[in-house]
Amino acid sequence: MSVRFLNQNAEVLNKSAALHMNINAAKGLQDVLKTNLGPKGTIKMLVGGAGDLKLTKDGNTLLKEMQIQNPTAIMIARTAVAQDDTSGDGTTSTVLFIGELMKQSERCIDEGTHPRFLVDAFDVAKRATLEFLEKFKTPVVIGDEPDRDTLKMIARTTLRTKLYEGLADQLTDIVVNAVLCIRKPDEPIDLFMVEIMHMRHKFDVDTRLVEGLVLDHGSRHPDMKRRAENCYILTCNVSLEYEKSEINAGFFYSNAEQREKMVAAERRQVDERVKRIIELKNKVCAGGDKNFVVINQKGIDPPSLDLLARAGIIALRRAKRRNMERLVLACGGEAVNSVDDLTEDCLGWAGLVYEHVLGEEKYTFVENVKNPRSCTILIKGPNDHTIAQIKDAVRDGLRSVKNTVEDEAVVLGAGAFEVAAKKHLIDNVKKTVKGRAQLGVEAFAEALLVIPKTLAENSGLDTQDVIVSLQNEHDRGMVVGLNHHSGDPIDPQMDGIFDNYSVKRQIINSGPIIASQLLLVDEVIRAGRNMRKPT
Amino acid sequence: MREVVTVQVGGFANFVGSHFWNFQDELLGLADDPGADPVFRTAALDMDVLYRAGETHQGVATYCPRLVSVGSRGSLGALSSSGTLGSSSAAAEQHNVVAWSGNVTKSVAKPHERNLFLQSLSEEEQNPSSSNDQNTAKKNVEDKDLVESLENGVKFWTDYSKVQYHPQSLYELYGSWTDFDRFDHYGTAREVVSEWSQMEEMNERLRFFVEECDHIQGLQFIVDDSGGFSSVAAQYLESIADDYTNTPVLLYCVRNPVSYGSPRNQRENITRSLHDAVSLSKLSYYCNLMVPIGLPSLSYLSPLLSIKDDKHFHSSAICAAAIHSVSVPLRLQHVGPASDSAHSSGNLDIGELVHILSDQGRQNMITALDVAMPAPSLADRKDLSNIERSLHCLTPETNDDDEDPYAVESLVVHGALDAGGKRASVSQVKDYICSAFEGRATKPKFSHLSVSPCPLPIPLPFPSIFSSSIGHQGQILSSQDPEGTRPKGSLDVVSVPMAARLRSSNDVVPFIERRSASLQRLGMARGTLGSQILRDWGFGKEEVEDMGEHLAKLLRPFYPEMDLTSDSD
Ligand SMILES: Nc1ncnc2c1ncn2[C@@H]1O[C@H](COP(=O)(O)OP(=O)(O)OP(=O)(O)O)[C@@H](O)[C@H]1O
Ligand SMILES: [Mg+2]
Repeated sequence: MSVRFLNQNAEVLNKSAALHMNINAAKGLQDVLKTNLGPKGTIKMLVGGAGDLKLTKDGNTLLKEMQIQNPTAIMIARTAVAQDDTSGDGTTSTVLFIGELMKQSERCIDEGTHPRFLVDAFDVAKRATLEFLEKFKTPVVIGDEPDRDTLKMIARTTLRTKLYEGLADQLTDIVVNAVLCIRKPDEPIDLFMVEIMHMRHKFDVDTRLVEGLVLDHGSRHPDMKRRAENCYILTCNVSLEYEKSEINAGFFYSNAEQREKMVAAERRQVDERVKRIIELKNKVCAGGDKNFVVINQKGIDPPSLDLLARAGIIALRRAKRRNMERLVLACGGEAVNSVDDLTEDCLGWAGLVYEHVLGEEKYTFVENVKNPRSCTILIKGPNDHTIAQIKDAVRDGLRSVKNTVEDEAVVLGAGAFEVAAKKHLIDNVKKTVKGRAQLGVEAFAEALLVIPKTLAENSGLDTQDVIVSLQNEHDRGMVVGLNHHSGDPIDPQMDGIFDNYSVKRQIINSGPIIASQLLLVDEVIRAGRNMRKPT
Repeated sequence: MREVVTVQVGGFANFVGSHFWNFQDELLGLADDPGADPVFRTAALDMDVLYRAGETHQGVATYCPRLVSVGSRGSLGALSSSGTLGSSSAAAEQHNVVAWSGNVTKSVAKPHERNLFLQSLSEEEQNPSSSNDQNTAKKNVEDKDLVESLENGVKFWTDYSKVQYHPQSLYELYGSWTDFDRFDHYGTAREVVSEWSQMEEMNERLRFFVEECDHIQGLQFIVDDSGGFSSVAAQYLESIADDYTNTPVLLYCVRNPVSYGSPRNQRENITRSLHDAVSLSKLSYYCNLMVPIGLPSLSYLSPLLSIKDDKHFHSSAICAAAIHSVSVPLRLQHVGPASDSAHSSGNLDIGELVHILSDQGRQNMITALDVAMPAPSLADRKDLSNIERSLHCLTPETNDDDEDPYAVESLVVHGALDAGGKRASVSQVKDYICSAFEGRATKPKFSHLSVSPCPLPIPLPFPSIFSSSIGHQGQILSSQDPEGTRPKGSLDVVSVPMAARLRSSNDVVPFIERRSASLQRLGMARGTLGSQILRDWGFGKEEVEDMGEHLAKLLRPFYPEMDLTSDSD
């Protein structure tokens, strides 16, 4: 999919032409993305030149897929993608908000207002809106036992904007449980400790939470067990393969015999390491029905695999670096970098370890662990693009729960916040500024409404009617958003429609920054300059 | 057998890779073909080094390159990123949207047209039997058309690829609004790759292939370092160095002649010089041996070749042939202490190659690559140093005086011919090279020789880059072919004897020196355009100094008299 704009070749345009080019670019991007927004948005299927498919309803993914050539549009796209990077959501809203700010500005400028006034007023309005958000947000008590229902509501709101309801609801519990599993009190939540794994499955769309870890590889020896219970887990980063560690020593064998000798010496070292592991295994597993699993970040070569297999040990090599950390959080023990001081304390524990084979792909499940602090979300889907779509949604869901826990607050959704903020700006803030700046505050307030308007439009409703009825309710002191089926005002609190506080905050913050930069152009920015992200 | 995993990053690197894999594919076919030259069966290279056996979801056995190829979105042409040609994967049922119940809009890009060659390839796949027993006269006409269509119409590297790639192999970077091919994008490419967790995906792809290896010997890494991909590769190499600590990396930096087009203005000029300096510093930092390849023009490389500089299809072919030759020793059977064998001599693994070239001599890790395509026949004994004299350097900005007594080299000769176009035996080649060596005025400090009788096979989708004086077996004809001076291609030449040499000597000093000097001159002074550019790319003052340091370090082996004590590291 590609978006092109006029004036591509003009490198330097005069001020007014440049300004209008910016406005058009912003509007163009807005047009492409606006059908995405909300639970009634349109999903886009992109078919590439070689027939590959991409399926997305996510502003972030869509922007990355697009071929954008206009430098202004690139700048907006960067801002929106950065939005996703920091808060995980709100890309579409950011693009719409910037587009609408530019549209409103165009009207004022056409009526003779200098962009400078608008920019100053935007700044005032932005600060007022952020202050208003502080008052408007709904605090969430997190404490030791966060309120699961609130977390579920926010996850559900997010997921339902990306997946059909049944699937979204199935995932809701999964993402909430995943985040609560990895959360440590008083520490930032590290979502990397939730592994997201996928499997192709012809007809099935299914996702489940594995308390423990799923690895995308299996043991490499035919005699190792494919299933074992009561397992000690050794997580290590130790080379168990013969390699020429001598590469940098100033030495080179002059003949084949010398070479064989070198090989033998190095082999002995590797064997020694394997023996240490076997010794520990024999010690801890003596006489019981316990098993021993080695998961190594480095390589394990066939002779070492042989030794381990003969000792009844299951061994996996080349585990992901991140799985070292995850394994320890899931199973306990510690990740060791050397086998010199191995003790039982280094070992973790899993009730069940088994392998699952799908064609040439192998998966190892490490399950039934005690007290997991890391887990895996396992996605099944019939094809790559469906899997990708679900994966994106899961990431969004996880982020929304994490944000809520860290923000200790949420914001009423379905357009409720935007309508309320607009009312506040018009009623209370506009009068604090003078003259033409008032136009700027008005323009900003009007631009906020792009969210409820677009939500209504995407639901096939009459935008004007919906906005009027929402505003009437707000004038009567009722905080409402729109019902996306009927367009009637609803209480988002009752319906459990919430957005993340930090996402909203960032949209309001970055939108006007970019809009102001675009309004104050002296000349058109050329593509290729490194645009720094707004802070 | 010790496995090699190949990585290709960037536009031209994938062009080179495409030819490289076509050679391998051709070798695989010839080894099974009773009608082919028996040398391809008896002296076969061990393909398991570069390939992996596996199976599809449907349980069909596959044999695919151990390869991760990274390119920008849209650079795969008619090949889908899962490695299959065309729309077979996009079966109608796939178009059902199963995870969304609302509206769907479809945006369909114009399908890439498949050229004649790709069409014939997929036809052959559908009914493989027909290719053999059809009347050959008709077939020849077709082949001619195929060759011609490639000569005139290659746009993507996939346009001439006949290889089946593994679904994990082809990775397209998204973020196409970042133009990776441009010089000025070192910093942006860095952001796009690291922040959008694309590096993680690239690491996973590589891990897939490495995990399977029982005993990996190293990575063969080809990068097009003429633009933003240089920065992508640098990050990739960095994480590879972290993850596979003792796995040696042999790095080829390839550039096509077009990338040398003259700069439009001062700014562009400075940008390029800085890019080259940064690129050398960053890329050499995380590899074990670096081979820069890419002359500003290849059209005058050798009177036996006729390469059109403006065609990637052409210029990448010679690079691929040279890289193939260097890779031959990595795949020779390892012979026991009774070291002589009729089938090969001088097998090496990547670690040993690195060791020979960079650790033995001066500790220099930047090596030049020379190639003789074709290598002349041994029968031509008028001048003993014939093969060595016909080697042409593919590395840019080198000296060429051959007078360095500290030089270390690794020479590969494969498929050499003897009198009457007979294949020369391994020991003949060895004797020949040894006596030539004796005759050299300044002998290198150390020279390693690898020999195989197996020549470079020329697959059908190979460009017509041979001059008319090259024969069917790649021999150099003494009399002009009656057919005239038309360049020859795969229909006239079936295989080519080759020689290639990696050379670590002071020839590369100008290459390093120029880059080191540009960084000093343009990048260090505060407030200049150059330092501004580096800042735009995201380099702080200290990092720039580190890069300068590193470049100086690359030069040190050549200036032993330089005072090193002032610098403690
Ligand atoms: N059930 C609902 N009814 C009405 N509005 C809803 C409902 N669920 C979500 N919304 C609104 O939809 C908007 C979010 O839509 P969406 O997630 O598609 O876009 P985004 O978050 O801006 O961008 P993206 O998710 O693509 O990065 C929010 O304004 C939210 O309040
Ligand atoms: Mg969203």
